[in-house]
Amino acid sequence: MSILAQQLLLGLLIGGLYGLAAAGLSLVFGVMKVLDVAHGELIMLGGYGAFFAVGLLGLDPFASLALVIPGALLLGVVLYLGLFGFVVRADEETRVKNSLLIGFGLALALHALAVRLWTADERSIVTPYGGAVLTLGELTIPLVRLLSLLLALLLIGGLHLLLARWRWGKAIRATAEDWQAALLTGIDVRRAYLLAFALGTALAGAAGTLVSVGYSVSPSIGLEWTLKALIVVVLAGLGSMLGTFVGGLVLGVAEAASAAAFGGPYREVVGLVIFVVVLVARPRGLFGK
Amino acid sequence: MLDIRGLDAAYGDVRVLSGVSLSVGAGEIVALLGPNGAGKTTLMSAIAGLLRPGAGTIRWNGEDLTALRPHVVVERGVVLVPEGRRLFGGMTVQENLELGAFTERARRRRAESFARVYALFPDLRERRRQLVRALSGGQQQMVAVGRALMTSPALLMLDEPSLGIAPRLVAAIFAALAEINRGGVGIFLVEQNVQAALTLAHRAYVLESGRVVSHGAAADVLRDPHVRRAYLGPLAVRP
Amino acid sequence: MSDARHERAWAIGILAALAALALLPLAVRRDDVLNFVFLVLLSITLAQSWNVVAGYAGQVNLGHAAFFGLGALLARRLWIGGAPIVAAMAAGAALAAAFALVIGAPAFRLRGAYFAIGTLALGEILRTTVGNVLPEISTLPAATIAGYRLTDRYYMALALAALSVLAVATLAGSRAGLGMQAIREDEAAAEASGVGALRLKLTALALSTALAGLAGGLFGYYHISYYPAHAFNPTWTFDALLMTYIGGVGTLHGPVLGAVLYVVLKEYLAVRWVDFHLLIFGALFVAIVLLLPGGLVQAVERVRRRPAGPSGR
Repeated sequence: MSILAQQLLLGLLIGGLYGLAAAGLSLVFGVMKVLDVAHGELIMLGGYGAFFAVGLLGLDPFASLALVIPGALLLGVVLYLGLFGFVVRADEETRVKNSLLIGFGLALALHALAVRLWTADERSIVTPYGGAVLTLGELTIPLVRLLSLLLALLLIGGLHLLLARWRWGKAIRATAEDWQAALLTGIDVRRAYLLAFALGTALAGAAGTLVSVGYSVSPSIGLEWTLKALIVVVLAGLGSMLGTFVGGLVLGVAEAASAAAFGGPYREVVGLVIFVVVLVARPRGLFGK
Repeated sequence: MLDIRGLDAAYGDVRVLSGVSLSVGAGEIVALLGPNGAGKTTLMSAIAGLLRPGAGTIRWNGEDLTALRPHVVVERGVVLVPEGRRLFGGMTVQENLELGAFTERARRRRAESFARVYALFPDLRERRRQLVRALSGGQQQMVAVGRALMTSPALLMLDEPSLGIAPRLVAAIFAALAEINRGGVGIFLVEQNVQAALTLAHRAYVLESGRVVSHGAAADVLRDPHVRRAYLGPLAVRP
Repeated sequence: MSDARHERAWAIGILAALAALALLPLAVRRDDVLNFVFLVLLSITLAQSWNVVAGYAGQVNLGHAAFFGLGALLARRLWIGGAPIVAAMAAGAALAAAFALVIGAPAFRLRGAYFAIGTLALGEILRTTVGNVLPEISTLPAATIAGYRLTDRYYMALALAALSVLAVATLAGSRAGLGMQAIREDEAAAEASGVGALRLKLTALALSTALAGLAGGLFGYYHISYYPAHAFNPTWTFDALLMTYIGGVGTLHGPVLGAVLYVVLKEYLAVRWVDFHLLIFGALFVAIVLLLPGGLVQAVERVRRRPAGPSGR
């Protein structure tokens, strides 16, 4: 029994990162109707960013967020201006399809670049407190993963506040609801898109950092994390960052439960099956209005 | 002052506007009438910058608006309340209004704009924390007009403001429009309720199949037998 | 979209080239050359198979590797078990097509990008499951290894490549093919004019996955040992996608040109950097999607047909 509880707890802990990973994708898709399937690669880059910030600059990995997040914001701006900004010129259906293709090409290129630069080896950030655990009754809680979960929650909460209180956050929400009405209200919708995309990339970078601390990073985690993010977005629906976070937790726990029930190797499958079932049960696609 | 000359617009191969010329003077109320499919909404969209005309010019106070993006047109002081209102349903009344004061110029006047809007539509002040999608059609229209007012416009354009709204509220909205105009804001109005429109307006144009077929002082257009026959027959809507 | 005469000329040219390649093993004894051409031929088949659904039915199938893998799985099993290779491969293709038809109807309820990510997920489900159920490496029995002849594989690959080109050529000219193109251009309009969209899409899917299954069977015939899950790896899908897009999706010759270019570049660049060809192809792909929705083939068409006066856009 306690083994199961332990597994579920670990599932919960990684679920927070699934939620964070999904939040960026959800934001971008909700606002721009752009499905960036290179999102996982952006997470991967964030992970490497943290890894090198720690290795080269001697930073604490959690502190490296202060470098990775601005860096990712900048990368998001570059990617929008150079790539995805062109995708939004088409109508919605073409947009989704084009962004899928472009994201795909981008993911391939980034993956190959990462392999070229850093080899295919897995990297993990080692910290002096890496082995520390918190004991709660029979449960052992790895401190690093707990901190990651809390940080993920903090970041999502921060995003929620940004969207609720910041002038441009509201503009982003308005654009997500009705971009033409937003234009008629005086909102520069292209700038809203740019900001949303940059924020989405920043969230991906942050997620990557947390992944490299508590788990590990390698060039091939991109596809895996893109799928996780997609699954959570489908599960949780668009529109609520906190809802997305909870969706991530649900996926993490579901994975842990299925691993306990069917064995470790089937952990991945349950999320994918849920994904396919939900997708097909809603034939108008993700959250068709 | 809005000056449109020789405007052509098309959707693909379908010509919607042909050589449309009209003007709205400073502080004037001008009505645009015509049957469905005449191109009225297309004209509004073109002025607002949502679509690019094939030919012709749209000048506002001497400046050519035709190539400007919609949010820049709003910055210039021309704002459109679109058909169907197009509010941000998931946000509150207050947030919708606030977003109206998004441009630099509008933000500076935000406090007085809020005061003006709540004075015109006291109902909205009471409901300011309610989600817009929970309001009735008439109240939503008030929010839409209010949001447009928050942009601090010099010209307020409205596309079918009375559509789907209870007559009592229509009267209130038209009264508010008159009040707004008294404050110096020009009004350009597309409206199916011909009687109400022509009572409010100073001048009017009639658009049919993408062409201006008639124009003049509102009272004259109201008396025009063609207009009476086409738009004020047995199904005329009483104000 | 190139016209029918064009396509026919291409078809003849490609088949002639393939026929010429039949003589290659007689002229060249080197295994590395034959292996290289084998890879090109396999890639042509794979790309053509993907092209059927993408180019003619207008849907992006990101789970294509699943059908390649299923074909490989069954064909290899049966062949090692003693069945003649052609029968084994046919069975593999049948399995792939059958699976496709089962998931096809519900899958096609999804539009555009959702179909793409849905099929991706399905492909991954299969890959993970196969990896769990059959984790051990599959190796040919010693007797088979002793009797292994590269030229047999070579001619099989040649036959498959020719078959795939013929199949696509026949499809393109057929009524079914024209119906599919109508769907691809504008599904709503096509439906309204009586084109049974779902049935056509399923036909395309069946053909596409059968070809992929055959390619998978070829893969199983060729390799001495491999992990069964490897044949389900999404890179097979992505490779097919890249080759088809870069060569020109929806044309007969696009996948062929794309496959040749892809494999040549891959082999050339792999000498210096592993996977670097993917960096180039990824970037090239993005550029093409942004600039030329139809691939390089369309670019060539546009250049050839440059209008005399100012263009509309």
